[in-house]
Amino acid sequence: MSAAPGDPLDPGDPGLAATDPAAIRVTVTAAAGRPEVPALVIDGRATDVTVTGPDERGRAVVTAGGGSGGEGAGEPGGERRAVLFLDPSPRPGGSADGIIRREVVVGGWRVEVEIEGNRRAALRERATRAREAVAHGGPTEVRAIIPGRVLSVSVVAGDDVVAGQQILAIEAMKMQNELRAPRDGRITRVAVAADQTIEVGDLLVVIE
Amino acid sequence: MATSPSEIPSLRKDGVGERPFHRLLVANRGEIAVRIIRACRDLGIEAVAVYSDADVDALHVRLADDAVRLGPPPPSESYLRIDAIVEAARSTGAEAIHPGYGFLAERAAFARAVERAGIVFVGPPSATIDALGDKLHARRLARDAGVDIVPGTLEPVAVERPDQVSTIVAEAEAIGYPVLVKAAAGGGGRGMRRVARAADLPAALVAGSREADAAFGDGRVYLEREIAPARHVEVQLLGDADGRVVAVGERDCSLQRRHQKLVEEAPAPGLDRDARRRLHDMAVRIGRAAGLRNAATAEFLLDPDGAFHFLEVNTRLQVEHGVTELVAGIDIVTEQIRIAAGQPLSVELLRAAEQAVEPMGHAIEVRLTAEDPARGFTPTPGRVTRWRLPSGPGVRVDTGLEEGDRIAPEYDNLIAKLIVHGPTRDAALARLRRALDEIEVGGVQTTVPFHRFVAADPSFRAGRLSTAWVDERWDGAADYQRAARLAQLAAGVVARRDGSTTGAAVTRAVTRAGPGPSTAAAGDGGWLRAGREAAVDRWPR
Repeated sequence: MSAAPGDPLDPGDPGLAATDPAAIRVTVTAAAGRPEVPALVIDGRATDVTVTGPDERGRAVVTAGGGSGGEGAGEPGGERRAVLFLDPSPRPGGSADGIIRREVVVGGWRVEVEIEGNRRAALRERATRAREAVAHGGPTEVRAIIPGRVLSVSVVAGDDVVAGQQILAIEAMKMQNELRAPRDGRITRVAVAADQTIEVGDLLVVIE
Repeated sequence: MATSPSEIPSLRKDGVGERPFHRLLVANRGEIAVRIIRACRDLGIEAVAVYSDADVDALHVRLADDAVRLGPPPPSESYLRIDAIVEAARSTGAEAIHPGYGFLAERAAFARAVERAGIVFVGPPSATIDALGDKLHARRLARDAGVDIVPGTLEPVAVERPDQVSTIVAEAEAIGYPVLVKAAAGGGGRGMRRVARAADLPAALVAGSREADAAFGDGRVYLEREIAPARHVEVQLLGDADGRVVAVGERDCSLQRRHQKLVEEAPAPGLDRDARRRLHDMAVRIGRAAGLRNAATAEFLLDPDGAFHFLEVNTRLQVEHGVTELVAGIDIVTEQIRIAAGQPLSVELLRAAEQAVEPMGHAIEVRLTAEDPARGFTPTPGRVTRWRLPSGPGVRVDTGLEEGDRIAPEYDNLIAKLIVHGPTRDAALARLRRALDEIEVGGVQTTVPFHRFVAADPSFRAGRLSTAWVDERWDGAADYQRAARLAQLAAGVVARRDGSTTGAAVTRAVTRAGPGPSTAAAGDGGWLRAGREAAVDRWPR
């Protein structure tokens, strides 16, 4: 995981203070001694990422990692990639939460990105930490991540299961998928039955 | 140089040059339905499409001259309804039915129903489909024709007979572990299980048999030794009513994931003229023994010692037929339709068969599927919000998908075939990289990143292929992580620049396909990946 210092694509920055390891902080500050020149700071480090676009069709070009300073951005040697910015498909739960959602496509990878202000993010992270502290050791809700039809249910409420044990079989896209317990625990609820059609997000079982 | 069909003197009453049929019904959907409709157009035949309620606005329906609704989206209520399809042909006056691949393509009962209705089935006769569709029968036939077959049983295994368990275990022992439990009725990999030790065999047999029964209404399973590492090489066969059977080239389909083909190419890299001739001869021998008419593919495994082992015959058009078309300069679908109309193999085809051991040029196909290559190729149905496909010299794209279409969870997740062609394998690979760069797809995750990796990978370039290649080389999660990082950076920079956030911006790559925070807490969908480890295999089409 070693990368050149200042490589903005290196996720392993030990100085990163964010509690969410997947989050990236982007700040625009003034360049040292030259307040009229904005400098980009990513995760606490001055860096040189340039984004040309996106145009009306969402096409942009990103150049990253060419050097380590705020100046000379977009110089050769950096990684230059075509990036597509698309409106995300609607998600359950709506979007009136101050978070901007974008679907960003890089090299065929479809990445759903959430963007929000620094201060708001800090508050949210604190709340999430508190929730996770409760959830740890608490019940785990196993939900469907693909739509399909339940073929069989191998457990009933009250069963003890071990991680990896089969819980359900689901048919989706012509295939039978055997869904297994994500952790050890006791089944406290089975929310589906054989032959039932399920949608993304439907609760399947609860393990405690 | 090439003589067009219309200039060839007709040798018989129903000879080349006449329109084989006036109307033909295409009993399929998606890219293959579009492909067949195009062949009809090329031949001056009117095409009739069929569709389910999920496909009302699909490209294949729009391209056809006429279209008939079959029923609701589930295949059993639409594309698998033999009665409805035969009736659709009758009511629209179609004289022939092309089944494509998948669905009813290899159901002898379908071919029989079509034949009985006085309609021409574009494919081998029902009796041939029956004989070769029974993988056990095909194994016996190949062995009798003097062809090496994959070691294994020649009769079905007695499943759910506790008294027979010791016999079965002894048989497996003799074949040698790991063995594969395979469905005699075959196809799609359903019913297939890999078994590494005797203790797992009875359960695998029961599970495989049950799945085969559910998929094909035939629970018979048999055992075959797993040959690994192996390359998957197959030969394209065509035969006519005069009993002539020819091989027009082979394809390497080694890049697979759980027995699902991902990349195919023609010719198979690294075969010399003698090996190629030997392979084609074996395939033709099997085709002749089966009395093959129309198109079929003989599949073989190539072991590290250079020996070919016969696997099975597919009595239909293959997904990957396009690579052979480009290298051999033929049109397999129009050839199929002419053969079905009683015409002999065309002059172009016979010439291609003569040159098949010394192929000119190279073609590579990558299958773009709606699957997440960072999560064990999990299906990703959904609506396609962006869909721009490549073009230019040496690039062919076969697709039935259009921007705004919804990829339905009911059907196969192949959304496009990208086929590139060049004078050499390296030239074809360069075109593949170029073409992949031009693709824009949004709304659903596809296998584009995987194919970009393949096209740039030195070992693939060197032709070091095996059916285990994908598992050994591909680290989808790491590839995704790097892309996600770049996406986050780009999104953050744009948000700051546009002033849509004040102060600093924080960007996160959210869990894809995740329904909500509770599932993320349950381990980022890891349960599904665990499930996929034991999930149903899909045998190459």
